Amino acid sequence: MIPIAYWRNRKVYTRMVGSKCKDCDAEFFPPVRICKKCGSRNMEEKEMPRSGSLLAYTKLSEPAQEFKEYAPIYLGLIRLDNGVNIISMIADADEEKLKAGARVQATVRKWAEDGKEGLVYYGYKFRVSQ
Amino acid sequence: MEGQDPEMSRVFIRSASALPVSEYWAKSLADLMTDAAIKAIDAAGVEKVDKIIVGNMMSGYANHQEHLGALLASSLGMRGVEAMKVEAACGSGGAAVHEGYLSVKSGEYENVLVVGVEKMKDMDTPKATKALAMAESSDFTQAVGASFISLNALLMRLYMNSYNIEEELMDYFPVIAHKNAVTSPHAQYRKAITIEDVRRSQVIADPIRLLSSAPSGDGAAAVVLSAKEGSVEILSSEIATNDLIVAQREEPLRFLATEFAFKRAMQKSGISLQDIDFIEVHDAFPVVASLALEAMGISKKGKAPQDAANGRFNMGSELPILTFGGLKARGHPVGATGAYQIAEAFMQLAGTAGQNQVNGAKVGVTHNVGGVDTTAVIHTLRRVE
Repeated sequence: MIPIAYWRNRKVYTRMVGSKCKDCDAEFFPPVRICKKCGSRNMEEKEMPRSGSLLAYTKLSEPAQEFKEYAPIYLGLIRLDNGVNIISMIADADEEKLKAGARVQATVRKWAEDGKEGLVYYGYKFRVSQ
Repeated sequence: MEGQDPEMSRVFIRSASALPVSEYWAKSLADLMTDAAIKAIDAAGVEKVDKIIVGNMMSGYANHQEHLGALLASSLGMRGVEAMKVEAACGSGGAAVHEGYLSVKSGEYENVLVVGVEKMKDMDTPKATKALAMAESSDFTQAVGASFISLNALLMRLYMNSYNIEEELMDYFPVIAHKNAVTSPHAQYRKAITIEDVRRSQVIADPIRLLSSAPSGDGAAAVVLSAKEGSVEILSSEIATNDLIVAQREEPLRFLATEFAFKRAMQKSGISLQDIDFIEVHDAFPVVASLALEAMGISKKGKAPQDAANGRFNMGSELPILTFGGLKARGHPVGATGAYQIAEAFMQLAGTAGQNQVNGAKVGVTHNVGGVDTTAVIHTLRRVE
């Protein structure tokens, strides 16, 4: 993680702020400058719903270096309740409950830390809600 | 077919070289690309080239080296020549050939040297995983822990769920790749494997296993493109892109970049599907090969794994793929892969493929991808009669 990039994106990482098109109402996450549906540049910030359904998941045994100490990590492809897809780490993963269609809820957890003296990064993760 | 502009040159491949993909602990990035370049230049029988293009993805991060155009030109003693690097993630090699094609076609350059190179073994596995993840968004995909292989794993799970496909059926792609690699002189893993071997191999990112993912390695391949002569002609060269962030695609199982690039390449070449004698498809993972073959209209949606299982893509069958082992068994030195595919298509069409020869091959297609179908590069090539 690049520390200043974390600061720039903090709204996205903690409140899941994406975009909404003022012309066609399409929603996007992460935020986009130009609407992918109608091409409008007339976009506004929009917080995403914090619940959705799991489409697919994977258990990653060899993550990239900043996450290697947390291996294995679980990643999910989730359809939020507004129809927007998001890829997120899954917290408190229990493979018995990780089925396609499972309801999931966003929470804020630790993502990674930059060694003993660096920053600790927090952001959204999803967990199975029922 | 579009009319030939009289101002535009035709583009021939005069020579090609492909170093065995391996772990070159004693060689540097510069050594590898220089070795491949010298072989191609000598085989072409040219004194000098007018331009050098290097395809490479990760040299800055992996080898602390950029400025690869000037580095190679210096190493070759070609003071004064134009030279630069082209980058499009794992599609860098194909993109470099594309730029070389346009240079020759423009009429401005007679001979252009294109080299694809990657030296991945200067990195340990977690660092290489980070380097590959750079094909996707740093801010929004790498930040949440998603590696490149995990994106493909999610896609594979979605694909299998959507079309009700058993995991085992996906494994025919690595089996085909390894079978063809046994007699492939430049392949990294010249060893046949079985479906059972794939099933028993370690899970990296469920459902992707060690033997269903392309390995990392070091390698370089080169071609000399010419406006005047060569035993193979590049008929068309097309690049298209798809959303960088895989999660933002409305239809994640549709390889739009491949669809666009393939359609345009076929139109410009004037050839039809029935004319194609072999395809070097980008088999980084079985799901990528499947979705690509479906995007090209070669297999029906959700049917590519069954076609593979039925033997449709074997050597000697209707449409051989991965004729020297593909990414899976020839190896996948990422930024070099697209150049390897062109070198392999050259060998097939020039009739110098040895034991891997597709008999009577006249027309071939290469498909090289950066990211998850984020950049797709298609070349159509024909033997010069």
